[in-house]
Amino acid sequence: MNQPQTQTQTQQQVDQLIQSRYKAGFYTDIESETVGAGLNEEIIAMISAKKNEPEWMLEWRLEAFHHWQTMVGPDWAKLNLPAIDFQKIHYYAAPKQKDRPKSLDDVDPKLLETFDKLGVPLHERARLAGVAVDAVFDSVSVGTTFQKELKEAGVIFCSFSEAVQEYPDLVREYLGSVVPYRDNYFACLNSAVFSDGSFVYIPKDTKCPMELSTYFRINARDTGQFERTLIIAEPGSEVSYLEGCTAPMRDENQLHAAVVELVAQEKAKIKYSTVQNWYPGDENGKGGIYNFVTKRGDCRGDDSRISWTQVETGSAITWKYPSCVLRGDRSAGEFYSVALTHNHQQADTGTKMIHLGKNTTSKIISKGISAGKSSNSYRGLVRVAKKAEGARNYTQCDSLLIGKTCGAHTFPYIESANPTARIEHEATTSRIGEDQLFYCQSRGLDEEEAVALIVDGFCKEVFKELPMEFAVEAKALLEISLEGAVG
Amino acid sequence: MSALLERLAPAAELPRDGFTELRSQAQKVLMQHGFPHRKTENWKYTPLTLIEQRAFAGSLDVGTPPAPPALPFDCAVVHMHNGEIDPSATRLPRGASLTGLVADDVDVDALVADGPNDAFAWLNLARLGQGWKLVVDEAVKRPIVVVSTVDADFEGAVHPRLHVELAPDSALTLVAVQTGGGAGLHNAVLDIRMSERSTLLHAIDRSGGDTAWIEHATVRVAAGADYRAFISDAGGALTRQDLRVSLDAPNARGAIHGVATLEGRALVDYHTAIEHHVGPSESKERFRILADDRATGVFNGRILIVPGADDSHSEMNTGNLLLSENARINTKPELEIHAEEVTASHGATIGQLDDDARFYLRSRGLSEREATALLKYGFAAAVFDDLEPGPLADWLLERLKSRA
Repeated sequence: MNQPQTQTQTQQQVDQLIQSRYKAGFYTDIESETVGAGLNEEIIAMISAKKNEPEWMLEWRLEAFHHWQTMVGPDWAKLNLPAIDFQKIHYYAAPKQKDRPKSLDDVDPKLLETFDKLGVPLHERARLAGVAVDAVFDSVSVGTTFQKELKEAGVIFCSFSEAVQEYPDLVREYLGSVVPYRDNYFACLNSAVFSDGSFVYIPKDTKCPMELSTYFRINARDTGQFERTLIIAEPGSEVSYLEGCTAPMRDENQLHAAVVELVAQEKAKIKYSTVQNWYPGDENGKGGIYNFVTKRGDCRGDDSRISWTQVETGSAITWKYPSCVLRGDRSAGEFYSVALTHNHQQADTGTKMIHLGKNTTSKIISKGISAGKSSNSYRGLVRVAKKAEGARNYTQCDSLLIGKTCGAHTFPYIESANPTARIEHEATTSRIGEDQLFYCQSRGLDEEEAVALIVDGFCKEVFKELPMEFAVEAKALLEISLEGAVG
Repeated sequence: MSALLERLAPAAELPRDGFTELRSQAQKVLMQHGFPHRKTENWKYTPLTLIEQRAFAGSLDVGTPPAPPALPFDCAVVHMHNGEIDPSATRLPRGASLTGLVADDVDVDALVADGPNDAFAWLNLARLGQGWKLVVDEAVKRPIVVVSTVDADFEGAVHPRLHVELAPDSALTLVAVQTGGGAGLHNAVLDIRMSERSTLLHAIDRSGGDTAWIEHATVRVAAGADYRAFISDAGGALTRQDLRVSLDAPNARGAIHGVATLEGRALVDYHTAIEHHVGPSESKERFRILADDRATGVFNGRILIVPGADDSHSEMNTGNLLLSENARINTKPELEIHAEEVTASHGATIGQLDDDARFYLRSRGLSEREATALLKYGFAAAVFDDLEPGPLADWLLERLKSRA
């Protein structure tokens, strides 16, 4: 074997390794249309005009913008957050196309290829996968599959822009009804500049015939992604919704500030699963996405149920607290989470369960894994209001430390104003047991495999809540993300 | 400057003595940052409106203080009335002495490091009169009891300060008996420094009455030293206790066991922190709150393990009973872990008395009241399980029984 060949081989191996760590890190060279950087009324009016929005929508955006100007960014999270220059961000970027494609056949093949590479079934493979997908590329939705089949069932699943055009009354009724624009700094920013997202409406007594999924992709440089998802489940309906996200590897940080609103009417069930794999930055903490998301579900009707499942492996900084407002009697909220941080990643994530109705129940299972120089915090609130007779909560949050330079923190707020409520909270923090490692290794696993196996077991309770394909992806993601964490 | 600041820390000329510089520094911090409010994370559950409503205008009685309450065990008593100690009335056992505080005793750097949020600790320094230092040189057998009382019509604001220093290998049982009175402010600072291998058993029995009772306590634990606190608090109009235990050297141990039994409109807010700065070190915390009537109980327990403090072990457990539909419990057990070779855990529950247990006791002939009292007592007394049997334990349990 001669010397240069070895070098090439080594280089290839290195490249492969880098690729395997963050497979979604490629960039699609596609002609795109971007509005100038900066945030002001003109930019907001421009976004609104591009989407051909009705007057009330622009007014709502501007109200939000004016309110946002009076707000200051949150500083309570355990995050080392560099100041963000909001005037440097481009608030709108879209792949160039003449008209909105009528069907997937009209979509730029380059875009389809991108989603294909990411394993998102948009085209022919979609039929096999049997999952309806709305694909969001930078600021716009590029295509939604299975629309016809869903329509037959009465289900509306389309991009947010389309919903504003086609179903303005529904959007107007529900937009901001769960997360008002005044809610918090980033939700307010999103309300002013959001560009697209998904809209789901499940009519009464309908079980959505297939799983719905949105895939978010940030592609363009110096842009932020501000999407909004609204899911309305009418009485007796049921839906399972999946969300995935990736971005190219870049040295600079990019902002993602989304809002998700769920409304569950009487006896409705919504299951919302996320595998978050935004680019986390490199091993020195350079680059990566700032993921500041407000997700909230409102169990408005009696006996309704909202379940959040999230696997968070990406993003340089995560600030996210999917919550449930348990308004209806006997309504139930669930939160299952795995948050993994490695290298210089920071996560401050958790949930809020607000018990307002009688005999409401909530369950929180949170698993945090910290490796490298990362910081991983669970922050949760369980609040039982005075009238929430018989409310019940169970919380378990466990943290696993891998390495000496990471941090794992737990900040649970528990507030009870009703004497019939029962609240239990448990938390543990520890490292991977040496005896566990030793046992696995004695059975022939190497250290990395052993750690992956133990971590997989640690997260089992959450993974089992995920739809099958997602569970497989989540497990693989975790293993990749942990590469290099031991030894 | 807010009206409260004007009332509590008027920019009047400060007395000229060794503390002048410290006072003026503290005054500056206060002027700049003011008092906490609802949005201040560490004070979000403590309604300071109560303090804002008070005038603190009453003049303090300089007459002979009333006799301190009698205690059913052999002890030496230091009586602090309306924030003042009369050293001539104090007899301490051999190995312990009480002296006046000097400016060098105040670790202002630590206060600066904590930032401006500890507004009441800064206020204490800004209005500091005569501070005291209790020095313990050897193992003192007889418990020393610091009795703090105020007049029934006390409406002023006092800012007592007590430092406790334990020499290497010394030991002390320090009991704080604190009884509030009128609608004033008792804003105390307690600074405990424990040298190598010293041990301190620190018992607190408190009922704040109408007095806003705020205490800011810091305990620094050196190598091999052992700090244990046992607290029984009946709360008051506003009771706020900050207790920070800093395990500064290898083999330091810290434990906090506390119970608050609240009735009427009582409010307690306990903010405890156990900091593991070096390993190996060990800590334990158990806290119970029983809230009845319109009472509010707040517990914020923080465990910090800093980077490199490997082999630190910590467990925290907080249990709460909500006994009335108008009572409130807010609890936040925090873990902040920066080291790998550690174990840390916490558990928290909020609930009510078990109907089955109550039914069982009723079936054995106890009245509803007796059954409830017994169950409450059983729940509360569990925090004193680690206290050695003896007159002190008997007294604490007896006090608890009368409150449950």
